Amino acid sequence: MRRSLPAATVVIVGLLLLLDYIIINPALATIADLLLELLVLLAAAAALAGGVALVLRHWTELVERRGDPPGSLALLVGFAGILLAGLYPGSSGSTDPAVRWLVAALLAPLIAGLFALLFVFLLGAARRGLTIRTREGALMLAAAAVVIVLLLPIGGAAGDWLASVAGWTLAVPIGGAFRGLLIGVGIVTAVQAARVLLAVNGAEE
Amino acid sequence: MGDAPMNERAPRFPTRAMLAPLALVVLLGAAVLVRPGDDGGALLLANPDRTRVAELHAAFAALPEAPLVLIGMDADLGTYPEVRVAVRAAFSDLQARDARLAFVSFTPEGRAIAGAELDRLRGAGFGDDQLLDLGFIAGAEAGMVRAVTDLLPAGVAGSLADAIREADAGMGAFDLALVVGGGELGPRTWVEQVGTRLPGLAIAAIVPTLAQPELAPYLRTGQLVALLATLRDSAAYAADVAEGATGAPERVPSALAMLLGMLVALGALGRGVASGLWGVPSGPGGGAGTSDRHRGGGPATDADAATDAGNPDGDVATDAERASDTDAATAAEVEQDTATAADVDEEGDGDGDAGAAGAADSSDRATGSEPEGDTR
Repeated sequence: MRRSLPAATVVIVGLLLLLDYIIINPALATIADLLLELLVLLAAAAALAGGVALVLRHWTELVERRGDPPGSLALLVGFAGILLAGLYPGSSGSTDPAVRWLVAALLAPLIAGLFALLFVFLLGAARRGLTIRTREGALMLAAAAVVIVLLLPIGGAAGDWLASVAGWTLAVPIGGAFRGLLIGVGIVTAVQAARVLLAVNGAEE
Repeated sequence: MGDAPMNERAPRFPTRAMLAPLALVVLLGAAVLVRPGDDGGALLLANPDRTRVAELHAAFAALPEAPLVLIGMDADLGTYPEVRVAVRAAFSDLQARDARLAFVSFTPEGRAIAGAELDRLRGAGFGDDQLLDLGFIAGAEAGMVRAVTDLLPAGVAGSLADAIREADAGMGAFDLALVVGGGELGPRTWVEQVGTRLPGLAIAAIVPTLAQPELAPYLRTGQLVALLATLRDSAAYAADVAEGATGAPERVPSALAMLLGMLVALGALGRGVASGLWGVPSGPGGGAGTSDRHRGGGPATDADAATDAGNPDGDVATDAERASDTDAATAAEVEQDTATAADVDEEGDGDGDAGAAGAADSSDRATGSEPEGDTR
């Protein structure tokens, strides 16, 4: 029954926030607000640390010519570009026109383009996966094919029928399986939280 | 996908395998431009079942005059094009109801999208007294919980900010929260963190299809008052709004392009599934992972592999060459599915079709043993 400092912190903060949620008490609310503010600051600090670590890592790889130097250079140039647009003297930060232009004209189309390529890559991956000839893989792709058929954008009575079956499929089998996963995740999370609260051995790992 | 070895021979002319993806892109591009029969007739993108659309209309109809609506913009850049039609139609719908919109984001990507949409709305006629930018709030769930009671950033001014400050200064001042999801913090987080603290705040959501199974239960329990979660529902809603709109309607994706893309995908999947389940040959060189010679019995030799992999000289193929051929094979197989011509390599050069079989063989060997089809 060894309690570490992080586990004790989690227990105390969790219980305080839970009590604040259940009980209306001004003093408790003040403490909960303070804790939330600390959490927000912690999250911001973590994001900042992550950014610095990313830059340092790619700068090192670029200087030492390890990994993927062109990729590291592209990342650093992009990083610097966004920072310059948002931090130059007189800039209005994330609402600055330069930042908005970079996002709307460069970043958004690039990411949307990459996402669109999923169609081609998924087809290639599916076919390549089938060369291994597993029945499970074939069944998965057969299910995908059925879903595609149900979503075909056709009109008339056939289209109406496909749309109603697609709605049922999303609501019943797919929704049921997804909900089962979510409930499973919820149960595991609750069990893990209880283990932390009760300081059960192994819960801190 | 790695670097090609020095001795690899590049084809002099583009092969069918190379041209197939390009042809597909051109075909889809042409379909987008032509756009015949997007609504009604043989093609229909809008969902004929208007239940979800009616729920969103009802949620908006329940709003008071000149309502305060909080837009939780936390979409992600990859899936936003899927929901953009519905989001912009909803803005038009709310504008027609003299709604006042305040934008807040809890993710950086959502913040970037919110900025772009705010610019667009200002250009579309929303006045300064109708729009408020509440910016990005850090801290994920913790930030969201704080925003329930403290939403206004320091120093924000204007008639809309004053109205929020007078009412509550938090999310309780709003008549409706319209959450645009797709990113890490979506409608589910809103229901969990905001809905439980403000049960009186109606929450509606617009999300990409992948979030639909996750969010549908919240719609049934009433924790979400409306949910648009498929492209077909979005198209139906946009069509409804466009009927009553005076400006240019938001352009919905082309039904024809979608149909063509889906048919290509079905062709590829159908042949692959048939091959996987029943061993039906998926290419002219033989079944998936099975060349004609290997089907005859006996383990494959390196010389066989080299020949199958489009190397008729019979020299032993290197691993890099096999990997390269596997990539080419995948493209070749996609091309074969789109082609209507007979499955015969009339060119006789063995660069594409034979490569497909050989590449499949290479993949089989990469698994560490001969596949069933090779030894039967």
